[in-house]
Amino acid sequence: MEDKFDKEKSSCSRREFFKIGGAVAAGLQVGAVAGAGVAAGKDPSTHTGWQHLGDNTQFVDRSKMIRKGPAYEVVGETLRPEMHESAFGRQSLIMRDMRQYREMIRSFDAGEDRQEGMGNRETIPQGEMAPETTGGEKSSGEGPSFPPVEAFNEPMLSWYKNRPDLYELDKLRVEEIMPGRRKDEEKYGEYYTLINAWSDSWSTHESITEPPEVSDFKIGGRRKLGDPVPFKSPAHAARLIKKVAHHFGATMVGITTIEPDWCYNYNLRGSEERGNYEVPKHWKYVIAFGVPHQWEQVNSNPNSGTSFDAYSRASIAARRLETFIKSLGYPARRHSPMDGYDLIAVPYLVKAGLGEQGRHGIAITPETGSNFRAAFVTTSLEMEIDQPIDFGVQAFCEHCQICADICPSGSISKADSNEEMDTRGYRHWEINQTSCYNFWMQSMGGMGCRLCLIACPYSRKSNWLHSLARQVDSKDPTGLVDNGLTYMQKNLFEAPEAHEYLPPPDGNFANFREPPEWLAVKNYLDIEATDPSIGD
Amino acid sequence: MITNLVIFAFLVGLLSGAVVVGASSWARALGLKMFWWKWLLSALWYFLLLFLIFAAFTFMGEGEVLAGWKILGISAVLMVVLGAGLARILLANRCHLKA
Repeated sequence: MEDKFDKEKSSCSRREFFKIGGAVAAGLQVGAVAGAGVAAGKDPSTHTGWQHLGDNTQFVDRSKMIRKGPAYEVVGETLRPEMHESAFGRQSLIMRDMRQYREMIRSFDAGEDRQEGMGNRETIPQGEMAPETTGGEKSSGEGPSFPPVEAFNEPMLSWYKNRPDLYELDKLRVEEIMPGRRKDEEKYGEYYTLINAWSDSWSTHESITEPPEVSDFKIGGRRKLGDPVPFKSPAHAARLIKKVAHHFGATMVGITTIEPDWCYNYNLRGSEERGNYEVPKHWKYVIAFGVPHQWEQVNSNPNSGTSFDAYSRASIAARRLETFIKSLGYPARRHSPMDGYDLIAVPYLVKAGLGEQGRHGIAITPETGSNFRAAFVTTSLEMEIDQPIDFGVQAFCEHCQICADICPSGSISKADSNEEMDTRGYRHWEINQTSCYNFWMQSMGGMGCRLCLIACPYSRKSNWLHSLARQVDSKDPTGLVDNGLTYMQKNLFEAPEAHEYLPPPDGNFANFREPPEWLAVKNYLDIEATDPSIGD
Repeated sequence: MITNLVIFAFLVGLLSGAVVVGASSWARALGLKMFWWKWLLSALWYFLLLFLIFAAFTFMGEGEVLAGWKILGISAVLMVVLGAGLARILLANRCHLKA
């Protein structure tokens, strides 16, 4: 009887334990879900910006690693570094002195230029001696022979006298290693075709100063294109180009064919020709790509933002991609914000399937919404092309109008549809560019506006919540999700009214969101600054 | 990479077992006659609760604090209404509790 009672008592206390434990676990789970939500919202990897600064990147807490004392102990007379001390710096001095040395030998052997004071080998100044008198092995001046120490000019002469070990190493490099590499390149070079093209791409820095028939056929403004390297198929070419463009910094890449209607008719970069020019024959394909703005900065438009972060990154990617294609033997030309365009951006983005043109006149992509900047490369390289896409933007834009409502200059149409619009024969949403530009000139910060880019409901983070909303919306044929999302956007999210973005007295230079703390003057600079939202 | 999100997700998963065992104990203690569809309805209510909390705090995390609070408020009303309905279903025809 007592046993039975004990058993019941034990069973009862176990059940109580599970009940209380379960209730506590449910409470904790709700807390953990809330914590997970905050973490998901803050997660910098969900920023649609090109880069993010996570806790584990450059902001490691170094406060516990600090040591006392100077960076280095001084053990002798301190000197500033000279160019010839570094192997890279020395190489250019070596080349200079070797050219001079060979020229001199050639002129002696040919008996040329025996002017007074120069024809006598004894009169050759130190550092410019001919090889026979200084121990050189070759006299032709054509081979890779390294000049003797005495043939070098200052500062190399003194340097080599003090450092014969480095003289030997430099000699070894010029006479054996470099010719050896050239032979290896002849034998194995093709195996490294792609990595060479990749490396060339990253090393390109030049502006377009020549017409397409010249500049599109030169690498780095100098080297002529080699023979075109054949691809297995246009599909292989497209796949490789997209991968490479992505590695160069392009977030989204699409490929299409050239459309003369969408090439400017008033200027061709690098060409004297103005207006009505013929689109170059080798511009057969257009590689279109986009790079988003840094997330926090683009949210603080129009007065604390800039276009130039994405402009710069898109332009760098374009420059790299252009050289990559040229290095494979195909002519190419970049069209980018920093280097200029010979074509109109948005139609090519739409044709290449990167996005749809929205009410605000710019393209909206499934990945980053309107938050991106575009660049292009035109080329003759045959690639498989992409098709335009439809993920519901046209229908969404017809009833959304958030960009039109928030536009400080009223440049975005509030029409029910774009059916009455005709731009050079094409129907699409169009804006009043002049009033838009006029507001640019009024805005503060990095000039420009970009408010419509960030107010667009498609320009949201790529976290689970917004990705889910975009996915569900694109698959809903009823329009219910469209309406629900627009309602939520208009009623849940706070944003200043259109006039508040204007200068005083109409507005107070408001921003869509507060700028990040690293762009707030008061946090870092010791200057007197008047906050326009407060006034004098 | 182990981020805060991963740690919280791990915690949520870990606590799920205890929540299931606890729910079963509560059902017995309250004398509820539970069928599979009642369990399903209860689970859906609970998942919806977690989903809405997750969504609201995600908004707060990304800096849209007002939107987060608004969603939390709307969710509270919705969950109370749905919870009342669910309670009526669960409590109907329950066994008499032992003294």
